Amino acid sequence: MLSVSALMGSAALMTMSDDAKASTEWAEHFQKNYRLMTDEEKAEARTRLERRYSSEYGKKVAVDTTGPQPGVLMGYALNVRKCIGCRRCVHACVEENNQSRGTRPGEKIEWIQVLRMERGEFSKDKMNHGYPEGLGIQVGGNAYTPAGQVLEGQYHYNPEAVPEKDATYMPIACMQCEKPPCVKVCPVRTTYREADGPVVIDYNWCIGCKMCMNACPYWARRFNLTKPVLPKEEMNPVTHYLGNRPRMRGVVEKCHWCLQRTRHDRYPACVEVCPVGARKFGNLLDPESEVSKILERKNVFRLKAELNTFPKFFYFYD
Amino acid sequence: MRKLAIVTLVLGLCGGAFYAVSAAEKAAEPAKEAAPKAPVECFESRKGASEITQRDIKPGWPNVKCSPKTGAALWYGDPYDGTVPMGKMPGLENIPEGHAVIKPRTEKLALMPMCGVSCHNGVGPAFNPPTLPKDKKPKPNPTMEAMVPDLANLQHGRGRIWCMDCHHTTKRNMLVDHFGDPVSFDQPQLLCGKCHGDKLRDWRDGIHGKRIGSFASTGKKRWFTCTECHNPHNVQDGARNRGFAQLQPEASPQLPRGMKDASHEKLHPIPH
Ligand code: SF4
Ligand code: SF4
Repeated sequence: MLSVSALMGSAALMTMSDDAKASTEWAEHFQKNYRLMTDEEKAEARTRLERRYSSEYGKKVAVDTTGPQPGVLMGYALNVRKCIGCRRCVHACVEENNQSRGTRPGEKIEWIQVLRMERGEFSKDKMNHGYPEGLGIQVGGNAYTPAGQVLEGQYHYNPEAVPEKDATYMPIACMQCEKPPCVKVCPVRTTYREADGPVVIDYNWCIGCKMCMNACPYWARRFNLTKPVLPKEEMNPVTHYLGNRPRMRGVVEKCHWCLQRTRHDRYPACVEVCPVGARKFGNLLDPESEVSKILERKNVFRLKAELNTFPKFFYFYD
Repeated sequence: MRKLAIVTLVLGLCGGAFYAVSAAEKAAEPAKEAAPKAPVECFESRKGASEITQRDIKPGWPNVKCSPKTGAALWYGDPYDGTVPMGKMPGLENIPEGHAVIKPRTEKLALMPMCGVSCHNGVGPAFNPPTLPKDKKPKPNPTMEAMVPDLANLQHGRGRIWCMDCHHTTKRNMLVDHFGDPVSFDQPQLLCGKCHGDKLRDWRDGIHGKRIGSFASTGKKRWFTCTECHNPHNVQDGARNRGFAQLQPEASPQLPRGMKDASHEKLHPIPH
């Protein structure tokens, strides 16, 4: 008991100190899991973090704690036919969400991956070839070559101009699953689904065990292997506690549908920047929203639907 | 006389002093800003037809962030920057007044101020009676061909439409709808929709094209109009395989540690 009060005493002392970083770090050690915090505790955490980030980045940083809005269930749809693979969404996301952007290994984090898939052709030469040769073919000669479409995608494509004639593109990020395997495996329950849909992470409680990274079937989660590299002038000062506030070394992060924007009725950054308008976002509970209209009118599919993760991210084409 | 001279002298001295002060201030100014930068410009959807200039709308908060690699707009600080109300659009009656805004196209069209004035002004002996081509297959003149290269065999519509199907006959700074009424260049959707009805319907519902700002169905949005993304005079463009012109992609992701290149991605799985 004595030691606890001694700790509390020194915590109080530290909080009084001028060093915003030291005092907040100390207080953060005693912070509850965000889901279990009372409104007052959230407000305290918010003030603490705002103070710390503002001194760290030399500008006024806001840490929002706005909760789910009544009657809103967020949904996303992406037109795979339209995407030209320009990767603007990837970089808009980095501008918005304060990811690490260093140059050394592990220092560059991007949440969206754009997969290039080859649109190959079936060839006449291979029509009578395959494996085993001659004895009743089990594997046709057009297997293993880009015939029709191959599913092994390329992430590092870098042509002069996109779209290329022989390729299609498929951006992938967190699908905000309704039944998220990442949430199931988290031993400290710091990642969970919010009432309005997105699966979020309380970075303070993440122990960096990477279980969720293993569990996610969509390669959506990233790990801060190093201390994140985020230059002061590039830091986005409009943040959300569960969203784009600066992360620390050793925690996992991923797409959260720009909570700092969407909780205030603004489109996510990737939607706004896509030059072809392939990205659509809206309220699944509103029949007039663009996602509802897409689900009603277009051919949609969910990636790896057979895994029963029930993503709220849909692909469609017209 | 002497009085006057003294007054002049005093005034002169004051003026000199004032000049010195303002000169010092002027010298201090550039130092504060540290080397004035050239204005950063980037394009939204169509390179050369949708440029925006980056500026701070409040300290440290730009209207747009531009990609240093490709010159593309990468992030919007204010989605409504430089917009005006869209104007009447059938089918969008449920959207509250002022909640549908657009960026005027007319500002981007360099020849626009001249079109209705210098050549197609509708006055003068040549226009009385109006001298319109006899048929819809006019011999293209060099001035127009310089602006629209495939004019002789316009690929928009694959040779089945001509200029006056979209441009107003006498008001050349206007487009034209099905009734022959003029349509502003800021509202191309009223024109394009007459053939591309399915696209217009999807656009109205937010499925085709792009909107930024508030995502609520009745919220304030900036709508991108047809010609902000499509060039109606160039619908066929070399190696591209979609309705959208090719552009330079942003940088590819970091390679995994120790990997020299991404050639492994081009391999297909090990046979059998
Ligand atoms: S996509 Fe992956 S990280 Fe996102 S909710 Fe589903 S399992 Fe979790
Ligand atoms: S910005 Fe749009 S077109 Fe470009 S890669 Fe992303 S989704 Fe595709």
